[in-house]
Amino acid sequence: MRDLFFVAFLGAMLLLGMRRPFLMVLGYVYVDIVSPQHLSYYLLNSIPVSLIFFLGAVVGWLMFDRKQVLTFGPRQGAMLLLLVYCYFSTENADFPLEATEKWDWVWKVLVFAIFLPLTITTRLRIEALATTMILSASCIIIAAGIKTAASGGGYGVLNLMSDSNTGLYESSTLACVAISLIPFILYLRRNSTIFPPDWRVSLFCGALCFACLLIPVGTEARTGLICIAALGVMMLRAVKRPFLYIFAAAFLGLASLPFLPESFTKRMDTMNEVQADESASTRLAVWRWTIDYVGIHPMGGGFDSYRGNSFRYEARTSSKFDPNAPVVHEPGSTIVIVDEGRAFHSAYFEMLGEQGWPGLGIWLFIHLSGLLRMEILLRRYRNRAPEDGHWIAGLATALQQANIIYLIGAAFIGVAYLSFAYMLIAMQIALDAHARRFERERTRKPFFVAKVVPA
Amino acid sequence: MIDMLSLFLSHGLLLLMAWRLLSRGDLDDDKGPVDTRKQHNKWGAPDA
Repeated sequence: MRDLFFVAFLGAMLLLGMRRPFLMVLGYVYVDIVSPQHLSYYLLNSIPVSLIFFLGAVVGWLMFDRKQVLTFGPRQGAMLLLLVYCYFSTENADFPLEATEKWDWVWKVLVFAIFLPLTITTRLRIEALATTMILSASCIIIAAGIKTAASGGGYGVLNLMSDSNTGLYESSTLACVAISLIPFILYLRRNSTIFPPDWRVSLFCGALCFACLLIPVGTEARTGLICIAALGVMMLRAVKRPFLYIFAAAFLGLASLPFLPESFTKRMDTMNEVQADESASTRLAVWRWTIDYVGIHPMGGGFDSYRGNSFRYEARTSSKFDPNAPVVHEPGSTIVIVDEGRAFHSAYFEMLGEQGWPGLGIWLFIHLSGLLRMEILLRRYRNRAPEDGHWIAGLATALQQANIIYLIGAAFIGVAYLSFAYMLIAMQIALDAHARRFERERTRKPFFVAKVVPA
Repeated sequence: MIDMLSLFLSHGLLLLMAWRLLSRGDLDDDKGPVDTRKQHNKWGAPDA
């Protein structure tokens, strides 16, 4: 049943894509986010779905799209540079086999991210891309949100429809992405022209935002809670009545406490005892190892270079007595932990360890320059009239907030090459280029002024 | 059951979006008509 459903949906998208080739681009975005191959039991596993949509998108763009508004920005250049750099680091990787395996999907993410802004040439296309990203991710978020509301979820327990632990099906990544989607949902609720604002749109958007907020609860991903806090602080800047907002947020936060599962509050409580939490202590040990490693290999060790790590550190067991936990050590005692081959658990250290200082520099340039450009657009358009490009300020705010949430979440999860993040970058580039064209049109003076000659 | 509900809702909306985009002239050009269906009369012939 599920297989037939996906085949019918993808077939319909392909057919519609024949009439409007841009829909092939949206089809690829959908396949990249949802990975229907992971949700299908047997039918789609043998079909190269992403390849079909990617070829459709490229051929459609080459043959039918307007090329008058073609732009290639500095951030696309930076992504191209990162792609070339990754290629050479893979050639000289510490673990060539594992590095080649990761390179096989990373290059596709980067190539699509470079290509995507070339196709996003109109306001409607920007909106369509944002809507596709939201609806694609909502397929996982709605199911996870309902399950959380019904059963409470649990760390590594919440069923995200697929056994795959990659992309958005990894719980911490999903929590981070779900929170980063909230600014987009709020923006589109007011500004969408595909689904013009009405009570049904408001109801769906409200319910989806609630489901997004439930993901960190259901997955018990601590990263998600940090992302919610970051979003709360950023939204303070955008609201008209900040004191009312602070009061309402505090009230809602306190009111939700009795409804949160005990396992969730217990897990969030571990953030106060970094030394006692093995997961946090291991991360700190891996990060220390990475800094030492790039001291010797400043150009990085290629993909999956973490496999070479091994460390020994002392940690304290939790000082709190838990009657349900098995008694292995005395509460508050010091234990020695020996570990090896632990992943980076941070996009920053992932870039540093794998691509060295130059790779980290390029990656930071791609993200930070995007934040800066969005800030410029926000300041330029926020006081404009609706017909004079005010929507650009709204979308720039959403893109900036989403990117900051990703960058905060990325501090604790290895998502340096998350395709969703590169789609955000592509949308930023497209919006920036669109604003430049809009401004040019606005200030353009006619070369010839027609004179009206009286008869 | 929950999974299927989520799949139907999200994919239904994706298809509805794609369907609506088919008739949007401003998909390829900002200056294009917002709805190309309005350029045709009820018999499908272009308006004069």
